[in-house]
Amino acid sequence: MATEDSVDFIKGWQSAQQQYWKNWWDMAQQTASTMQDGDLSSLPWHEGLELWSRFFRAPRPVQNDLMEKLMLNAKQYMTIMQSTLNRRVDQPPPFFDAAKIANPWVDALKNAFNIPGMDRSFLINNPMATALHEAMEQGTKSLQQMMTGMEQLAAPFQHEAKSLLSIPAFGYLREHQEHYQKMAQAWMDYQEALGRYNALILKSSQRSFDILENKLAERAEPGRQLDSMRALYDLWVDAAEEAYAEIALSDEFREVYGAVVNAQMGVRSQIQQEVERISVNFGVPTRTELNSVHQRLHEIRREIRRQQELPDLSQEITNLRAEVAALKKQATPENKESKKSVAEKVIKKASVKTSKSFKN
Amino acid sequence: MEALNISPQKVVDEALRFQQKIAAGMQVLHQVDDVTYGCTEKEVIYREDKLVLYRFKGENKPTAKIPLLIVYALVNRPYMVDLQEDRSIVKQLLSKGEDVYLIDWGYPDQSDRYLTLDDYINGYIRRCVDVICKRHNLPSINLLGICQGGAFSLCFSSIYPEKVKNLIAMVTPVDFHTADNMLSHWTRGMDVDLFVDTLGNVPADLMNLCYLTLKPIRLNQQKYIGLIDILDNKTEVENFLRMEKWIFDSPDQVGEAFRQFIKDFYQANKLVKGGLKIGEKEVDLKKITMPVLNIFAEQDHLVPPSASRPLQCVIGTKDYTQLAFKGGHIGIYVSSRAQREVPPAIHDWLEQRSK
Repeated sequence: MATEDSVDFIKGWQSAQQQYWKNWWDMAQQTASTMQDGDLSSLPWHEGLELWSRFFRAPRPVQNDLMEKLMLNAKQYMTIMQSTLNRRVDQPPPFFDAAKIANPWVDALKNAFNIPGMDRSFLINNPMATALHEAMEQGTKSLQQMMTGMEQLAAPFQHEAKSLLSIPAFGYLREHQEHYQKMAQAWMDYQEALGRYNALILKSSQRSFDILENKLAERAEPGRQLDSMRALYDLWVDAAEEAYAEIALSDEFREVYGAVVNAQMGVRSQIQQEVERISVNFGVPTRTELNSVHQRLHEIRREIRRQQELPDLSQEITNLRAEVAALKKQATPENKESKKSVAEKVIKKASVKTSKSFKN
Repeated sequence: MEALNISPQKVVDEALRFQQKIAAGMQVLHQVDDVTYGCTEKEVIYREDKLVLYRFKGENKPTAKIPLLIVYALVNRPYMVDLQEDRSIVKQLLSKGEDVYLIDWGYPDQSDRYLTLDDYINGYIRRCVDVICKRHNLPSINLLGICQGGAFSLCFSSIYPEKVKNLIAMVTPVDFHTADNMLSHWTRGMDVDLFVDTLGNVPADLMNLCYLTLKPIRLNQQKYIGLIDILDNKTEVENFLRMEKWIFDSPDQVGEAFRQFIKDFYQANKLVKGGLKIGEKEVDLKKITMPVLNIFAEQDHLVPPSASRPLQCVIGTKDYTQLAFKGGHIGIYVSSRAQREVPPAIHDWLEQRSK
């Protein structure tokens, strides 16, 4: 239970922390106003946002998630814009050469996308890949984790010659060896397909700057100039999406996209089979077994529903039973005798006809 | 003359305004309430498996003689049509006197993996229509199909034309092989059998990823930069959060229905080319002879207008009306312009044909 002393201590500690950051802020302001231009331009604006965001703790997780996404994009945006301006300033004059109107800004923007911290070579000068990479990390977390795990598992196989994977397996564990060979082959197929996909995305990024150049050239006239970094960013987004659509609607992209998806499923399928093998060994029910049950159950339910929806035959059965009962009642002993004599007459007549036809 | 008229002072001012918005937003996010959706009261009329058939209750009793059933797509949650007070097609239709029902498909799991299009169209939709017809003692009702739900409604109307009085298709793909249909383009190289055999049900996250990659920078980056512009407005932030919830609150897609939909609709384009069967029933769009209203969005990147327009040429009705809405696939439900234009257009069209 909190005592009065501990409550006072907590309040004092909160007040001390607020005082600390206030003093830090005042110091930062004083220092910034005395710094030289060259020193200031090297300080990333986004780091200010980074520190700022740590002061924020939303009461609900959904708001923290939103803030996280917001800050990520805001930091990237500020970095791109600051870098663009820094590089633009570094461009040799003349800035206003009519023959090179768009190029300096496009070059600056292109290089601004080399955001510090990027560790994948294909993300350099490749904002489209950056955007896709971020989307994929959100959308396929479980698949990405699986792929990362697979990468570690399959890494040794990448050093083997591809031909080794086709060597037939022998012995007690041949089935397992064959399976691992298939898994490694699937992984290599996936890497190859992914490489082709990444090449197209890079092409799209490169194309986006060509289109941006044209769009900027169109705006080099009074009344159409862009008057903010945001306007430049929005124009670049238009150019990037246009470039992406060009590539994404091509026959080559269709083939490559299909190859990536199919290869990814190939890897996943192999991993799932391995998981099932292990599950069977430990007596754990598997996906295949459950699917089998679900499928049978589904078929049974469909059949039941089909039968339930058949027309109601009960009334028809009742009517038919009444008819049979009436017919049976009609077939009384007197009626049976008269019917017998009619039948005998019919038979006699038929036999006379037959004997006549034989004589003829 | 340079294309950019930017001075260092302008840039600094812009950056500071940017940061001020974020700072104000931090305060606003502390005040934002939990986002809820669905503003219109509704009652449960019928349940089957995970499906629920709802009837909406307006402030006044409906005046329309023929009820309207909304059939939404499987790929998103249907509360988009009743998202919030000022963004609800359902509320608008109720205020005009329409009697509105809606099928909520629920959230499938792996036990639903073997549901087929036959189960959805000849099963669930048909039984829901029969329930409504029985309630109202009518032989047929009005049907409003949205997106994939529109494709389902077209199939249903061709198989059971006697059960549909008037048909409305909203942002509905008909011809899946138009040149600007990116989604369709990408499916053409996929081995759908391998896909479904491996995944079973298709995870919602994978579906959402696919949609995001249609416009990767606009939807993953620019949208959130744009959010900063409204971050100091609590109402706008709540609206944004509500939309975010709907966008990412997607159900998984049941394996067998997904398999057939991609193979027959996206890959083989059978809805217009012919040869489509749902279970044992042939789909012949020429059997759609009831009045049809086709609404599509001119800036729709998911179902381009070129995919919807061909409906006019493939159905058998002599009473065809088309409405091109200036907006996108989502805007057609939630934009303020949509609220002004779409429900009145639907109601006026139905009123003339429900006498």
